[in-house]
Formats: sequence, C-alpha cells, structure tokens
Amino acid sequence: MRSFSFLLIAALGAGCGTSPDERPVSFEFVTLGILAPTCGQVQCHSTTTKTAGYAFDTLAASREALTTLTDDRSADSSKLIEVMTASGGSRMPPDSPLNEEDITLVKLWIDDGRMGL
Amino acid sequence: MKSLQIHAALVVVALAVLAHRADAYPQYQVGRDVTCTGCHVSPAGGGALNENGIAVAETTAWRGGDGSFMYGWKTPSWLALDGDMRGAAGYVNPGVSTAAAYPMQAEVGAIVKAGAGFSIRAVGGLRSPQDGGSIAHVLWSREHYVMWQQNPDSSEGFYVRAGRFMPTFGLRLAEHIVYTQRFGGDPLYFEAYGLNASYISKAFEVHATGFVHDPIATVAEHGDGGALYAEARIGEHAAIGIEGKHSVSDETTMSYGGMTGKVYLPGPDLQFQAEGEVIRKDITAGAGDIAIQLAGYLMASKPLDHGLMLDIGVGHFTQDTRVKGLYRDAIDANLHWFMTSHVEWLLTTRIELLDGAGGPNGGYALAQLHYRL
Repeated sequence: MRSFSFLLIAALGAGCGTSPDERPVSFEFVTLGILAPTCGQVQCHSTTTKTAGYAFDTLAASREALTTLTDDRSADSSKLIEVMTASGGSRMPPDSPLNEEDITLVKLWIDDGRMGL
Repeated sequence: MKSLQIHAALVVVALAVLAHRADAYPQYQVGRDVTCTGCHVSPAGGGALNENGIAVAETTAWRGGDGSFMYGWKTPSWLALDGDMRGAAGYVNPGVSTAAAYPMQAEVGAIVKAGAGFSIRAVGGLRSPQDGGSIAHVLWSREHYVMWQQNPDSSEGFYVRAGRFMPTFGLRLAEHIVYTQRFGGDPLYFEAYGLNASYISKAFEVHATGFVHDPIATVAEHGDGGALYAEARIGEHAAIGIEGKHSVSDETTMSYGGMTGKVYLPGPDLQFQAEGEVIRKDITAGAGDIAIQLAGYLMASKPLDHGLMLDIGVGHFTQDTRVKGLYRDAIDANLHWFMTSHVEWLLTTRIELLDGAGGPNGGYALAQLHYRL
C-alpha cells in the first residue's frame, strides 16, 4: 500500500513534461491522440453513435468528419475550432474541457495544411 | 434547428458523463470481508445479484423491503431475472454552465442455470441512438456469455466464461468517468468477445482474459488482446492488486500496467481504494508516435446511517509526459442513498482542474435515480 501511495502521489504531483510541445502535428495524431479519447468516446462521436453525423474514433471516420469540419485556409474559420472554443452551450466536448495545448495543436495542424487528411 | 442541436448535445453530455454500467460497489469489499462473488453472479462483480447480494441490498437500504426481482416474482429454479434503469438530471460545466435531464440506462437480464455448474447469461437493453439510425440500432446486448462455475453453491473457486463481457481489470468502480477507467483501459462499453478464467477466494483472486473486439456491433474496444488482474488480501482489512492489459488494433497498440490498493479502517468505518496506472499509447498508423500517460485515483468511502454512503475521490491524468502541463485533476464527491433494496439515489459532483488550474476548469453536479427491477 505504501508503494502504491508513492505512485499515486507521484502521479498527482506530475507536471511531468518539461519540454515544449513536440507531439506530431499530423492527421493521425490529431485523431488518435486528441479527438478519439475525448470527442470520440463511444457515447458521442464514435462510429457506433455518430452524434450529429460525425465520428472521431477511427481514422476513416475522422477523415470524413474533419474534411467537413475544418477549413483548409484557416483554423479560425473552422467549425471544429469554433465548437472547441465556444463560450456558449454549444461548446465541445460538452462534459469536460479540452486542454489548451490540444486545441493549439489542432489549430496548428489546420493552419499547416491539414497534413495527412 | 439550433435548439434541436443544443438538445441533442445535452443528451450526449448526459450519456457521456453518466451512463453507468450497473456495477458493483467495491466500497463494500474489504470492510465487509466479501468477494465480488459474495454479492454478484459474475466473477468480475457488477450486474445481477445473487441471493446474498439481494439480502445485502435489503439490509443496507433505509427501507429495505423485498429485494428480489420485481418484489418477489416467482421464476423456475433454473431461471433468474434482473434489470436496471437509470436516469439523471443536473448541471454540467465544460467551461460554460448547462442544465440537462435525460435517460441513461434501461437493461433487462436473465441467467439460465443449465446444471453441472454451467449457466448462460444475457443482458439486453438500450444504448445511445445513432443520429439517423434505425430503432434496431438502439437495441443491443452488452453482455452474453456461457459460464462454468466450479462450486455453484459457493462464491469461491474457479470460474470460466466465454462470450461477450468486460475484460476483468482494475478496481471496476461503478463510476466510469473516473480517470483510471475512462483513460485507463476500462471505459464505458469496453465489452469484447473473450475467454476469461478466474479463481476467487477470500485470500486472493486472479482473473485472466483473452479478447477480440466485437466485429459486428463495433463499440469502444477496437483492439484484440489480453487482460490480467490479481489481488491478494493483506491481513484482515487490506488488499493489494496488480493489473495489466494489452490491446492491439489497426491504428493503436495500448498497454496498461498498474496497481490497486484497498484499506479498511474499522474504527471510523472508512474504506480507501486507490489505483495507479502507467499507460503506453503507441499510435501505429501514419508516421507513428508513442506517448506515456499516467492515471491515478484515490477514493474514501464512509457508510452513514439511514442507507447513506459518502465517497470522496481525487483523480489525476497526465495525458502525455512529454508535454509540461498537459494534465487534469478531479475532485469528486458522491452521496449514495440506498432508499430501498430497489431504489438508489445518487448525488454526484466533480470539480475538474486542467493544467494545475492554469487552464479551463469544468465540473458537474447531477442527481441520479437508479432503479433495480
């Protein structure tokens, strides 16, 4: 139990990373690293439930959704970013906020030309 | 149209936040010196209650009453029936406040005892509708399996299951939004087809499962793999466990490893449960990427008078150890009221802090009604 407590305390105290965000700015990472575990939960935008017609839990489904929800000219004019940063009841995900780092990476991916889409 | 979209979003929030499985209350385990099978039919706990589980429901509740199916419906000795319904209402805040009310779960189940320790278990019910999908899409069977039990008249011994069920892994709390479940390899609807062997005694239990994803009703688990959970009692009022899970899909390879701990303090009648996991997320599609994640949860539970039970929990999830600040913490408080042996009210609340409160914050306060048939 003591060793377990150490593990938990270590986890709770973790700011963990020390480097700037070096995660891949790619379609695969945006989908499987950010959107699938948050927006793509089975009850929401999954291939099973497909709320509003969009799913993010697989690459194929996400490709279809992101083609519609992102604007190849600008992140700021993309529907995806609009709902992630909305200040009203349409904000997504509706159950739990996304980290700023994730929103920034998704924006960067769009502004970089939506690589891999 | 906009109000329709908002309404749909509220329903989704509700299902996302709340859709519980009808799981066990592990809060009882060490303090009451029982195993999951002391109260439940399944060796993993959760779902249908056995005879002792019904008796516990009757004695735990404020106004117990007849806890058997439909208050005493007679069924043949080879058949047992059960069912669960849940609904909730309240307030959620993902950065903005929203009120919502919604249904969550409606399931009925049956167990057919076939003799020689064999039984067949099936659960059928409703799930979130797909936008534009047919009514047939809403109906499904989350669990269906054949089980062999070495000692059908005892809660201890060997169990073998084949069919569709949740691979046995970790603490298996009823609250699936706990980070160690949501991000830790045991989220909602992660049932898969598999073969499970369990050995359960009061001194220790071991569960090993091999599984493949459901090729027909594709849900949350897209991978194939295995899960292992082993837990041993330490003295009279403590237990320690180890867990591991590996799942490989076309796009990711997920590996989970961790520990669980349970301690009961008889004086204050408090039970502590904790789980910590290290997760290796290997995105194998495209150029690939490997991230290490950490998930932890600590919960204290205190039974109170009049059928009440209070849980206070704290959770942590580091999404990627390479990125400074990419984590979230949660503080949970749940007040259960077992009003009768069939009716449970639950007030569940959470405050969620991102990036050490440097980022956006979230939370919810919801009242839930759980009715067991």
